[in-house]
Parts: sequence; structure tokens; C-alpha cells
Amino acid sequence: MKLHIKNILLLGMLLLITVGGTTSCKSKKKLAKQEYEAKLTQAKTDLNAIINGETQWTLEEQRARIEEIEKADFQDTEIDELIVKAKSAIDDKQAEAERIAEEERLRELESQKVIEKETSIEDYFAIIAAAPDAETANEKIAEAMQLFAAPDVPVLIIIYHLGDIVDYDAPTTAEKYLNYIKDQKSVTVRVNNIKYDDNNKITELELIKK
Amino acid sequence: MKKTILFLLFGLFFIGNNQSFAQELTPERKQAVDSLALEKVRDLSKYIKIIGSKDTPWSEANRVIERAEELFAPDAEIGVSSLSSNEVLYYKVRKYLERLMRLNYDRVEIDWYKIEYVSDLQRQPDGTYVGVITIFQTFKGYDKEGRLIYQDTTKKDITVYVKRKETQIGGRLIGFWDVLLGDMRVKETSR
Amino acid sequence: MKKILSLCALYCLFIPTHIVDAQTYSNLGDVQLDERALYTMTKQMSQFISRFNYEEDQYGKKISSNSPEYRDRMKRKTVLPLLFDMENQRTNGSLRDFFIADLTESDSNYFEFLGGQWYSEVSATFKWKGKDVDISMILTIEEENLGSKWVLTNVYFPEFNKLFPKGDIAEQQKHFLHPMSHELDFMNIYKIFKTPECIEYYADKSYSADYLSLFFYEIKQGNLVFEKVNSEKFHVFQIDNWYFEVSWFNREGYNTGWLISNLIFLKNNEKEELLKFYQPNINK
Repeated sequence: MKLHIKNILLLGMLLLITVGGTTSCKSKKKLAKQEYEAKLTQAKTDLNAIINGETQWTLEEQRARIEEIEKADFQDTEIDELIVKAKSAIDDKQAEAERIAEEERLRELESQKVIEKETSIEDYFAIIAAAPDAETANEKIAEAMQLFAAPDVPVLIIIYHLGDIVDYDAPTTAEKYLNYIKDQKSVTVRVNNIKYDDNNKITELELIKK
Repeated sequence: MKKTILFLLFGLFFIGNNQSFAQELTPERKQAVDSLALEKVRDLSKYIKIIGSKDTPWSEANRVIERAEELFAPDAEIGVSSLSSNEVLYYKVRKYLERLMRLNYDRVEIDWYKIEYVSDLQRQPDGTYVGVITIFQTFKGYDKEGRLIYQDTTKKDITVYVKRKETQIGGRLIGFWDVLLGDMRVKETSR
Repeated sequence: MKKILSLCALYCLFIPTHIVDAQTYSNLGDVQLDERALYTMTKQMSQFISRFNYEEDQYGKKISSNSPEYRDRMKRKTVLPLLFDMENQRTNGSLRDFFIADLTESDSNYFEFLGGQWYSEVSATFKWKGKDVDISMILTIEEENLGSKWVLTNVYFPEFNKLFPKGDIAEQQKHFLHPMSHELDFMNIYKIFKTPECIEYYADKSYSADYLSLFFYEIKQGNLVFEKVNSEKFHVFQIDNWYFEVSWFNREGYNTGWLISNLIFLKNNEKEELLKFYQPNINK
């Protein structure tokens, strides 16, 4: 941003000088040459900064600056080459930014989906544990089973985890585990990970001891 | 089909593996295994309450008997003695639980003391860990008129076998502790 | 009276005032009853060992071996008196105090599960020649492969002992085969079989009757048939210059469970003789 302001000031100065005019033609020419040199140097600095990704401008601002330099028509081959490079650098960055944004959007969407699913299976755990009688609990178990791909989907329970060491309880199945919660009337685990199939049905449930 | 595949993945890839686990466990890890063992005993105590309760529907009680039976090693037995005689009566797990379901009282109260004792786990020659968990139970049986006709307090010493195993689930190798209850000694301590 | 008071104070160590929160695992029970007696009870032999060594605190919580509390000598000194049968003079007086002093004077007198020289005595009923007989089986922990197991080391069955009476030395010395018997094709050997009760006097001097083999023989012959276990207790020789016995006490009050029921000051050389009964093959 600082660079930008500096440029505007510079441009202002140039305008003043041009409009205001000077008394000496020689000095006028000298001044014009000096201005040109200054503008040229600044343009090169800016273009290089864009190419090397060293500027803090937004992509839009960078594009605007390139356009500005292009319009100034410095008649300088180095500038022309730099303009081509800078445009391509910006295109690359633009493409990358678009991909990152899309990836992030999808991840966010997916994680939200997982959270929703986790909440609902965890909710079922609590509901089944708190069921007033076996009949109610059985109804809730039947509902919860809809979230799973099959009644014998594996349920893994982590009992200890330190570094690389992960100890599990003996694997059980979705149906058995839901009935277990019904019998024990308490939930001593939280969901650690869930795997889904293409139909969004749970194919593996990993729990961890609270 | 999907069900079958899942079953295959889950069921058939048990790999017994205790040799690779010869090193000593850290105290924290041992504590986690102790807690797991104790949890199985707590599960059993809940099942016993459900089976003994006269409010439990017959079908539910039968299902719970199955689940309770699954906690035990296949050859586990229950040895029961009373204060009046030191004769030990032996029951298979299922018989013991069915007997509990059919007790001839109008109402039954089964409660567990808060106290539990978990022994250190020792290893037997094949590497399986074995421990004993002690719990205390009070039993009260009432008749139709609500009169207390029988009560006792029993100490239950339950063998716990803990074995490290591995299985393939969804292409991953899962290391787990297989906890099975073994013989249970039931001793009456007071009436 | 003073003693009784101090014992009461000791019991308080084992009786937490905030019972529920204090236990390591405290969620099982729903009984709102007086559980103090169950706390003080030494519920398992494992707990006896943990208390004896001060490897668990008064609430039954295991002390990690890294903790400074682990096997703390001063705390051990206060807990040890609770592990004795208070109704026995031998285990409730000065001898007990001497024993505790010896246990806590150094850092080496601990009772180790795999330390050897401790035995379980299982008293059982068998059917023998049509009648019920009591036989005591002696077992010890033996290490094997990845772990350990209980193994039989001896049996005590009076009928077996009767077969091998000590006999007096003079009588024993009358029985021998003279050193030139070989020249006569041992024609005199028939005589030794005429007095079967003395047959063992003809054995070499290192001979001793192997009761465990007799026991196995009788079982294999079908003459001895197991009926039931009546009781078990433990004999511990691990502590230098001491022997003690641990038995199960099922009674009212706070002095219950596995407790020291006998205590003997026994110099290590005397101990060796006694050990031969429990484990005749100990040095083999």
C-alpha cells in the first residue's frame, strides 16, 4: 500500500510540474528526462515486485498498476518484457487463489456435513442412554441404525492414545454397541472419527473414551 | 452383499498376537487396561441387575443373558458358597444367569457396593495377562406382601483375562485388548 | 486400653471420610450403606502384598512406582499393623512390633509376587479307600516363558507320613545289607522285604520320601479322587529371619480379609529345614 501512495504522490508531482511549466527550455527538457527516468525506475521496481510476489497489493491492484505502466508506453524493451512476465505471474496467482478458495469452500462444506452426522449419532447415544424403558430405547436404536450402512458396521473404541501407540477395546458392531448403551444407560465415549460410503451411510465408527 | 463384505472384513481377520507384545507396559497404559477390565466387570454388574429385575421383559432378559455370557471365556464357571456351608456349587455362566432370572421372589433388589478392588495384572506362561477384580453385592428378595424374605451380601472375585490382539478393519491393522472374564468365585460374607 | 485406642486411630487410616470420591474407580455401586468394613478388609492376596509393601494408599489407589510415596517407609510403618490378626497374641504384640521394625529399617524387605519362597496351602477333601480324607496341597509360583503359574511342590497326607515314620536311630542302624552281599548273589536280600515298614532304611542316606510322587501315583491308580477345596492360606518365607502365615478372616468388624495369622522369628538356617517341607526339590 505504501508503494501505491508513493506512486500517486510521484504522479501528482509530475502533473504539477507539467501543467505549471518552467521558464527555461533546457531545464525543462532536463526535468522531463529526470521525470521519465524516475517513472521508469519505479515501473521496473513495481513490475519486479509483482513478478517475484513481493508486493502487498491485491491481485486487482497489481493488475491496475500493470495497465497503468502499459498505458505510459515507456518505449523500453525491458519494461515490455517485464509487463509480459508480470501478467503471467498474476494469471498464475489468480488461478492458484481460485483453486484454494474452491478447495476451502468444499472442505468447509464437508466438515460441516461430518459435524452434523457426528452430532446426530452422538445425540442418539444420549437419547438411547436416557430412554425410560426398553421399548423406547429399541425404537431409537432402530432410528439410529438408519445412519449406518449395515448393522454390523465396525465400531472401534480407543482406550489409550499416546504418540504412535493406540490401544482399542475389542471391536464391536453398530447394533451391539447401541444395545450396549441401552443396557448400561450411560455414554462413556465421544466420537473420534466416522467413515461414510457414497450414500452418506456410516461404514466405520471410531469412538474414544471420555 | 455389503453386509457380508463388512462381516468378512471385520470377523475373519483376527490375528492372535501376544509374542510381539512382550515388553512391559507403562503405568499409564496399564491403568487404561485396568480400567477397561474394570469396565467389563461393571458391564456384568449392570447385566445382572437387568436379569434379576422382575420389571425386565422376558425377551430383554434373554437378550441380556446372551450379552452377559459374551463377556466370559467359554469355559468360565461360577463357584458359589454360603456362610452356612463352605461347599462350593459350580455353575456354567448361562445356568447361573438363568437361575437369577427365575428366582422365586415377587421383587428383587440387587445393589453393588461402591468399593471395587483391582489386582495387579500378572502374566501367565502364554503371555496373557490375568487379574482378579473384587466387587460386593447385596441381594434382597421380597414376597407378594412386600416382606423381606431373603437377603445376603456376597463378595465376588472375578478372573479377568487380558490379551493383546490385532485385526484388520478397513485395510487398517487395529491393535486391541481382548478382555474376557473367567471363573468367578461368589462367597457370602454376611446375611 | 492405650493399645486399643491406637489401633482405632490406625483403622481410621483405612477408612476414608469421603469414601465415594476417594476411590480410583468409584462408579459401580449404588448402595448407600456403611462400606467402611469393606474398605479396611484386605480383599485379595494381591491387596495384602500391595499394602504390605505400601504400593497402594489407604483408599486402595495404586501408587505409581515413580512416585516418592511408593513404598514410603514411614507410611508403611503405619499401615503394616492393620495386616495382622488382632485376636492372636503372636500377631498382636511385641513380636509383631519387632517384625514391623525389621521390615521398615531398610529398603529391601518387601514381599514380591515373583520373589519365590512363598507358598499356598490348599486344604482339600479327597475320597480315599471309600472314606473322605483331608489332604493339604502345597503350591508355589513358578516362572515360565512369558509369565508364571502355580505349581505343586508337595502334599501333606498323614496316611503317607505314617508309612515313613522317623524311627529311632538304633532301630535304623540294625537294618543294612552287609558289604560283601554281592559275592553271594545277594541271597540275603529277601530279608529286607519281610519287614516292609523298615524298607526305607535300606535306601541310601540322601533318600527322602517323595510324597508328591506317592500322591500322583494314588491319583493315577484311581485310589484318590478329588472332591473339593476347603480352604487356602499362604506361608511366606521371603522376609529375612521371619516366617509368616496369611489366612482369610471372614468376620464382623474392621480386622478382616487376608491377615497375618501366624508369625515366627526364624533364623535363615532354621528356615532352610522348614522350607524342605514346602518345597523338597527347592535346590534341584
